[in-house]
Amino acid sequence: MFDRLIRIAEHRAAALLVVAALTLQPLTAAHAGPNEQATRLFERLTGTPPSTSVLTQMASDISSHDYTDAANLAINDPGHAFYNVTIRNFAQPMSNKPQSLFVPLNDYTATIIGMVRDNMPFNTVLSQDVIYVGDPSKVSGLPAYAYNNDNQYEYMDNANADLAAVLMAQTQSSVTGIPSAATAGVLTTYAGASAYFYAGTNRAMVRFTMMDYLCDDLQTIEDTSRPPDRIRQDPSRSPGGDSRTFLTQCIGCHSGMDALAGAFAYYNFVPTCDPATGCPAFNIPGQMVYTPGQVQQKYAINTGNFPQGYVTTDDSWINHWRQGPNSLLGWSSSLPGSGNGAKAFGQELENTQQFATCQVQKAFQAMCLRPPSNAADRAEVSQITSDFVSGNYNLKTAFAESAVYCMGQ
Amino acid sequence: MRITTTCGLALLAAALLSACSGGAATTANPNTSQQSTQNVYTGPPPATPDVEAFEQNLWVNIEGSNRCGACHGVGGSGSPSFARSDDINQAYQAALSVVNLSQPSNSTMVAQENAGHNCWLSSNSACADIVTTWITNWAGGASGSSAGTQITLTAPPDITVGATKVYPSDPTLFASTVYPVVQAWCSRCHSDTAASPQSPYFASATLATAYAYAQPLMDLNTPTNSMFYIRLAQQSHNCWGNPVSCPNSAATMLAAIQAFANQVTVTPIDPSLIVSKALSLTQGTVASGEGRYDAHDIAKWQFQEGQGLTAYDTSGVDPAMNLSLNGNISWAGGWGITLGTGGASAQATTATSSKLAQKIQASGQYSIEMWIDPANTTQTNADVVAYADSATSNNFAFAQDAVQYQGYALSTVNPSGTALTTNPDDNDDSLAQAALQHVVMTYDPTNGRKIYVDGQLSCVPATGGPCPAGVDVDKMTGGALTNWDPSSLFILGSAPGGQRAWQGTIKFVAIHDVALTQQQVQQNYAAGVGATYYLLFDVSSLTNTPQSYVMFQASQYDNYSYLFFRPTFISLDSSWTPTAPIAIQGIRLGENGQELPVDQAYIPLNVTIDEKDYSATTGQLLSPIGTVIPLQNGPTSDQFFLTFAQIGSNSHTYTESVPTPSAPVDLAPSSDIGVRLWDELNNTMANVTTVPLTATAPLATYQNVQQQLPNVTDMESATAANVISAAQLAVSYCQSLLASPGTYFPGLTSAQFAAPATSVLTPGSGMDLIASPLIQNLTGQGAGGQALATQPADATVRSEIYNLIQALESDTPGASTQTVTMGVCTALLSSATSLIK
Repeated sequence: MFDRLIRIAEHRAAALLVVAALTLQPLTAAHAGPNEQATRLFERLTGTPPSTSVLTQMASDISSHDYTDAANLAINDPGHAFYNVTIRNFAQPMSNKPQSLFVPLNDYTATIIGMVRDNMPFNTVLSQDVIYVGDPSKVSGLPAYAYNNDNQYEYMDNANADLAAVLMAQTQSSVTGIPSAATAGVLTTYAGASAYFYAGTNRAMVRFTMMDYLCDDLQTIEDTSRPPDRIRQDPSRSPGGDSRTFLTQCIGCHSGMDALAGAFAYYNFVPTCDPATGCPAFNIPGQMVYTPGQVQQKYAINTGNFPQGYVTTDDSWINHWRQGPNSLLGWSSSLPGSGNGAKAFGQELENTQQFATCQVQKAFQAMCLRPPSNAADRAEVSQITSDFVSGNYNLKTAFAESAVYCMGQ
Repeated sequence: MRITTTCGLALLAAALLSACSGGAATTANPNTSQQSTQNVYTGPPPATPDVEAFEQNLWVNIEGSNRCGACHGVGGSGSPSFARSDDINQAYQAALSVVNLSQPSNSTMVAQENAGHNCWLSSNSACADIVTTWITNWAGGASGSSAGTQITLTAPPDITVGATKVYPSDPTLFASTVYPVVQAWCSRCHSDTAASPQSPYFASATLATAYAYAQPLMDLNTPTNSMFYIRLAQQSHNCWGNPVSCPNSAATMLAAIQAFANQVTVTPIDPSLIVSKALSLTQGTVASGEGRYDAHDIAKWQFQEGQGLTAYDTSGVDPAMNLSLNGNISWAGGWGITLGTGGASAQATTATSSKLAQKIQASGQYSIEMWIDPANTTQTNADVVAYADSATSNNFAFAQDAVQYQGYALSTVNPSGTALTTNPDDNDDSLAQAALQHVVMTYDPTNGRKIYVDGQLSCVPATGGPCPAGVDVDKMTGGALTNWDPSSLFILGSAPGGQRAWQGTIKFVAIHDVALTQQQVQQNYAAGVGATYYLLFDVSSLTNTPQSYVMFQASQYDNYSYLFFRPTFISLDSSWTPTAPIAIQGIRLGENGQELPVDQAYIPLNVTIDEKDYSATTGQLLSPIGTVIPLQNGPTSDQFFLTFAQIGSNSHTYTESVPTPSAPVDLAPSSDIGVRLWDELNNTMANVTTVPLTATAPLATYQNVQQQLPNVTDMESATAANVISAAQLAVSYCQSLLASPGTYFPGLTSAQFAAPATSVLTPGSGMDLIASPLIQNLTGQGAGGQALATQPADATVRSEIYNLIQALESDTPGASTQTVTMGVCTALLSSATSLIK
């Protein structure tokens, strides 16, 4: 009888869904009062509806134009859904190569959640010696942090732990054992390394970091006019016997990407699974290794494809994309545009104008459920970006201001 | 007793000698096509080891009347008499005047063959190569190594960079010619405002942006070299038309580029540039052939002919295994043959192929050495080379099997010709690549086969399984070659009969009658392949240094490009030293009057020539890397030059134009509301039902269905699976709620929950006992006395709940209040009031 009841209920739910969908009123200037604005502001920031008391307080704040107070009520709601849901969903796809939301919680995502909670300047996410781990005094039975798995985070996730309450900041170097100078924020977390230093040639770390933090994939960045002096020996200059392919396509990405990927010459992720028989798509068992002064073998594979190519001898990198069309990314004039190692690479990216714009665009998309779509949206994103930068890269403000903009008027 | 060769037909020889010495107005060439026979040398013995090396390596190959002996023998018309057969010591002295032992390819004899002087083959270059080999072997002595060969650099002709067409700074011409074409047909991808932008943005809505991106893709001097045209004409890249026609699309594009080019006037090279002198590839000094170990070549093909249907065996070892080219085969630029689809091969005759069996069965060991460029890494069981009777029976073969290579070697321990496959258990370790590779298979009776790729011993596990580094063992080891079939056919590109066809380019093949050592393999790998030249770009006037050059090594890389590498500063004045440092920065390569728009690898270069690093013999290396630049008109026509940001006291400031941000484009209006994501939905359900997130049943359901819950907020992407999964989760939460409802339903007691629904949920106030709390908690409507315009109206939902209660009571007679409440809770919780935010 129960199954039958469920089927009926589901059938009626479908009817209710239609009714509700038809009845739900899109917010417009004509419809949105403080209650509706407060509801949407809360829902966008947390993904959940507000309690009656919070709704009342937020509506009151909105009526008196205290939008920041209203947003902060949502952000600081005791359920911490802003951190545990919204920021988690913001960070999670960046922590794995398939860009999936549905991966177990990991140290990459947890570190971003913690940085946002603690108002850490987000323009250090790719360079700082920081990691967020679970506080064992707040989670019963919590496994110790390990640099070769995500067991601690999966444990917290399975226990539905309130991440915003149980995460605590540590220096990454102290818990992972790698030198502080070799840390590069989330890039050198276990999850970051297992995603982007595993196998391959470490170019993935460049590509995905640009995708995630500059909102630009290679197809929009490629520029065939940059010097190819740093392209390694492994890309064939005559794929299939036709060098035109290289001269018109391959060079566009490799000239800039290979020049940057030198930053990771001392990094590798050594799996404990057997790649020949299959490793998981994410959270691969194994550990990042850092070999200062010794270039990883992956930088010298297929050297015969073009013996006259660049031979990596250290972890130096140079940013050829500072010139040409990609100068529009807004590289920091206070940085030299070249350097050594992952930390300097991270600083090069996180101090671009595009980095700030990208974070705000992502926040805007999450809060408004659309990309900036018209002149008003673009102007707002520009203003929020300006506030984000001048506000010491506090990511909460980007979300809060975006949510307020889209709560209706 | 010494064995020598002489003319087989005495009468004919006499006639030829007569012709040579007759002094007639027109002279008949010697008959170099006839067969020679061995003869006995009865003259004085060689006076020195070098005379003996001359005799064994050069003289024995040329003294016959079918070679040089017809004219350059005793009393012949030709002078000097280096082919005389009466006294090997006098022949040696004569030969010294026509050979260059330090650089055999620069010998007078070789130059004569290149000029067509009585070449006995139809290819002058093949004769020249063969004579070069003989002289090289003489120069190398017993080792046969030419490692001591040195290149003598010579000053190139003095050529000034010519005029050319350059892009006008004003994009107006572009806007009226090419721009309309690319905007019409390419803007869906190659525009910065496209839905999925694909760089380069030559079809941008912003003209300045489009023009900047388009310039590298056009060639105003030779419009057919424009990539815009080539992509359509030769690569069928997104052609257009109805029906789609690449020829028509290409013609349209070419016409537009030509219209653009026709309106651009030829201008001298920018006088503000700092420019070297110019020269073409073939005006350089030949650099190839250095350092090869070829003492035991018994057959060799360099594929230099470039035309015709024969590739000549230039090993100099008779009988020559000249290959006839069949099927879809073409000559590759920079030496080589390309075997295409549909079947292609290059094969010797069974008669000449027997040379291999004769030599190799005697030595009991051999090596197959090749430079190849596979067309792809998907072809399997494809014979690059075979010495075989059929596709299933061979003496040896070397094949590509996707990303691995396979070596076949018939022997007494391997009578069925089982293949040795590189890395059979790990295709992630790809050995065969669609790139130029040096591949060698050696065979000796002790170790059997070894396969080298680009100088490195391939990893071949003896027992299968993981492949330890550095291991290369043929578990079948080696044996005798007594079971070889000497009537087999040597063939490149397939097995005899055309089976096991292989596609790709072959640039070099050599068969050795020894198993090369790893050192010898690496020596030959380092020697490279193809026609390589030293190009000396004169910068004397720029550096105020006599006979100073920036020297590149260069070669034709494939049919579409040149390779330039190892730029070196050198003065041909060996007494010169850089007493004052010379700064060199930012070298750019120019071709046919224009700086190239792509692959300028030496822009970042910043070197100072100084006494510390400069050598009078080798100069000073500026950069160890190489770069590939486009071929435009061909190696004899394309004229190269260099420009500098700084050289010596001359400098030029390069400034890049400031890119123009693309104009933003408004997107179509989109929904103001969206679907809650998976975890948002879970948190929402927990929140509104007051069931903890950690409750066992909902948590289990959530973990089970979470990947079916929405993962994007776009309502148009919502699927039936999303809704059904949400309903499943709602069931779980409502079950947990009703298991211990507490005060959630303030008007209902435990007894009422257990009682039949029909007795409790009476129309109106009875039904409101569950409708009111559910509406307030699950939709937020009316909670705290607040009305929300963004949620469905209370009355609308309440009416639906009434209907649902009645339906449940009717369909499930006797159902309890709790059961019916369960249904109502599930229906409302999984509705749009929760799903949509």
